[in-house]
Amino acid sequence: MSDYRTHTDPRHATEQQLQDLWRVVVLNDPVNLMSYVVMVFKKVLGFDETKARRHMLEVHEQGRSVVWSGVRETAEAHVFTLQQWHLTAVLEPDETR
Amino acid sequence: MKRVEVKLSLPVVAPLLDVIRELSVELEKNLAAPQALHDLDQEFRGAWIGELLEGQKEDVRAMLALFGGDFFTDGVVAFDEDNAEPIVRACTAIRLQLRARRLKGIGDESLETGEIEMEGLEDPVRKAFMCYLFLATVQELIIQHLDSSIIGS
Repeated sequence: MSDYRTHTDPRHATEQQLQDLWRVVVLNDPVNLMSYVVMVFKKVLGFDETKARRHMLEVHEQGRSVVWSGVRETAEAHVFTLQQWHLTAVLEPDETR
Repeated sequence: MKRVEVKLSLPVVAPLLDVIRELSVELEKNLAAPQALHDLDQEFRGAWIGELLEGQKEDVRAMLALFGGDFFTDGVVAFDEDNAEPIVRACTAIRLQLRARRLKGIGDESLETGEIEMEGLEDPVRKAFMCYLFLATVQELIIQHLDSSIIGS
């Protein structure tokens, strides 16, 4: 699988953005199979079956699930990879901490 | 290497390949799932989308290769650890594109449950919906048999 970072200057975000915490949020869509979403969470985020199913159900029932939180660079990488798998994933500032 | 062979009905599947080929052309230029990238600057966003599009094209090529020359001889397709991942992603890309372009008249709830009166659909929509279901079946098959290969790769 390709990595956008190998082709892109990583100096895209401001110093402040890099220091802040960010959340990776997956939004519901009517197309992706539940089994597919579980598999993608396991593959991309390293979740075990139970955690992957819990987040999948949260997406399905509540429309969104925060699947990861942390530094911007890693959050961006997760969003990119989830988007490669055609999940609707967005980056949000984590204002809870 | 784990390998799964499936024999498909040529008269049923061959017409669906026309739909898949048409959509694969559309997916050369457009992302199946347009993404909101508000937080990225324009240059970075362009590189991001370009990389997603390249990956999508490679995945769709792997899907089309599945239905190469031999398929029309015996109707057999084979999934293995090398092609499972791109094909399972390509199935999603094409299903998303089907929903956006060919199945707009069908509500999302009906698409999710699959409870649709096929007799009431016009021929192109019926064909698109059959393609949508066929690709979901391919995905289920791959996930059922090659899930651990994909996750471990």
